[in-house]
Amino acid sequence: MFRTPLLNIEEKLGANFGEFANWQMPMSFSSYLDEHMAIRQECGFFDLSHMGRLRIKGKKEELENLVTRKLDIENFSMIGPSAMLNEKAGFIDDIMVYKVSDEEFLMVTNAINREKDIQWIKKNSNLEVEDLTFDFVMIAVQGRKVWNYIDKVDLQPLHFSLNTKFLGENVFLLSRSGWTGEDGIEVWADIKTGEKLIMKLADLKIKPAGLITRDSIRQEMGFVLYGEDIDEDTNPIEARYWIFDLDKDFIGKDKLLYYLTEGVSKYRIGFKLQKNLRIIPRHGNKIKILNHEIGEVTSSTYSPYLSRAIGMGYIKSQYPVIGFHVNIDIRGKEYRAKISDFPLF
Amino acid sequence: MGEIKFGKYIILDSLLYTDTDEYVKIEGEIATIGITDYAQKKLRDIVGIELPTLDTKVRAGDVVCTVESVKAASDIYSPLSGIIIEVNEKLLSSPELMNKDPYGEGWIFKIKMTNQEETKSLLTPERYIEKIKNSGD
Repeated sequence: MFRTPLLNIEEKLGANFGEFANWQMPMSFSSYLDEHMAIRQECGFFDLSHMGRLRIKGKKEELENLVTRKLDIENFSMIGPSAMLNEKAGFIDDIMVYKVSDEEFLMVTNAINREKDIQWIKKNSNLEVEDLTFDFVMIAVQGRKVWNYIDKVDLQPLHFSLNTKFLGENVFLLSRSGWTGEDGIEVWADIKTGEKLIMKLADLKIKPAGLITRDSIRQEMGFVLYGEDIDEDTNPIEARYWIFDLDKDFIGKDKLLYYLTEGVSKYRIGFKLQKNLRIIPRHGNKIKILNHEIGEVTSSTYSPYLSRAIGMGYIKSQYPVIGFHVNIDIRGKEYRAKISDFPLF
Repeated sequence: MGEIKFGKYIILDSLLYTDTDEYVKIEGEIATIGITDYAQKKLRDIVGIELPTLDTKVRAGDVVCTVESVKAASDIYSPLSGIIIEVNEKLLSSPELMNKDPYGEGWIFKIKMTNQEETKSLLTPERYIEKIKNSGD
């Protein structure tokens, strides 16, 4: 199992560790309920060192063929959420891509897919892939009042900087990105710098947050988690994950066009349970209408911000969507849930 | 009431324990049951509970209620046979009490025992520590 290089320092900050995607990572520091509220109301930081970070060099056209978003943009731009698809338009992975130049790109992968992604890129191109995951740590500082805690970083959304300074430390990458729905930044730094940054963030009274909070925060936003909500048998149309440009070619595009024109048999929805009902649906719980199964839950959690259980899942595509009431079967008992659009808060 | 510390877990020497991580506090013919400090730390944030039904007759080993944490829904077993005479309704609005004070305000239910002999099969604090040790934590 891999361990976050920041483990020792996080232990001093009170981290409670657990396993995620074969990595030992901080699951929480105090309580996820407090950490979640800190991100939504103030500010918090996450260690995301488990995520795969790749440097890709070679012809832009070759990478263009592998990812669903256009790469034909300015240098030093963040392309944002994108994906690599298989021929069936199923997700190899959902990824984040940064363009450094026409010959150099950076990619963030899901931790669970890092090695698979490297193999996929090598199999389908002549691109050179360098795995930077173990050279750098990745830290996200996120929150509604993030700029009350740190100096506003001079970055336009969708831009990023390489080899710049953050809190007086030299960092490899600084970007205005996050995955929480709040403003903030993400940083890649070498391990020693990462340790210093974490201490500086803690000194600024920014709350450390763990992966449990990461999960509850992303569910409020309706962001998918690979392996739970999407996989190689799920396509972006079913997932309602609009991370593709149709005026370019890429692996899986033909099938994607087919689904766009012919339709899909299921699609992803968000749901909210009754307020203050403290029951959480689990992955695989059935979504029903009058004892008739229409789908399944893929992710769910208790949202302290909304004081209710929320989540997402897939239902058959012939059913009405927003505002429609369904039942979720949780351990043999049915609970009413309202289908809701994302973000859920 | 003495505290025994085993790693990051607290075990009270005045209580008895189960293999399924409930603790039992015996006072005459009344037993108060909750989950141990070890159990609450393993479950992490507890966000809800379905309390047992009052006046229900239970047998040792019966599932009496479910605790919801972000990690999982966990069954709580009655360690002893008896009748459920009291449930901690505070937990409905403040389930985090099971995290904050598992042996105090976080208690879950009380039963009037019908077979006091059964207490002999519960784990002593020392044996409960052994159990935690064997689980690899």
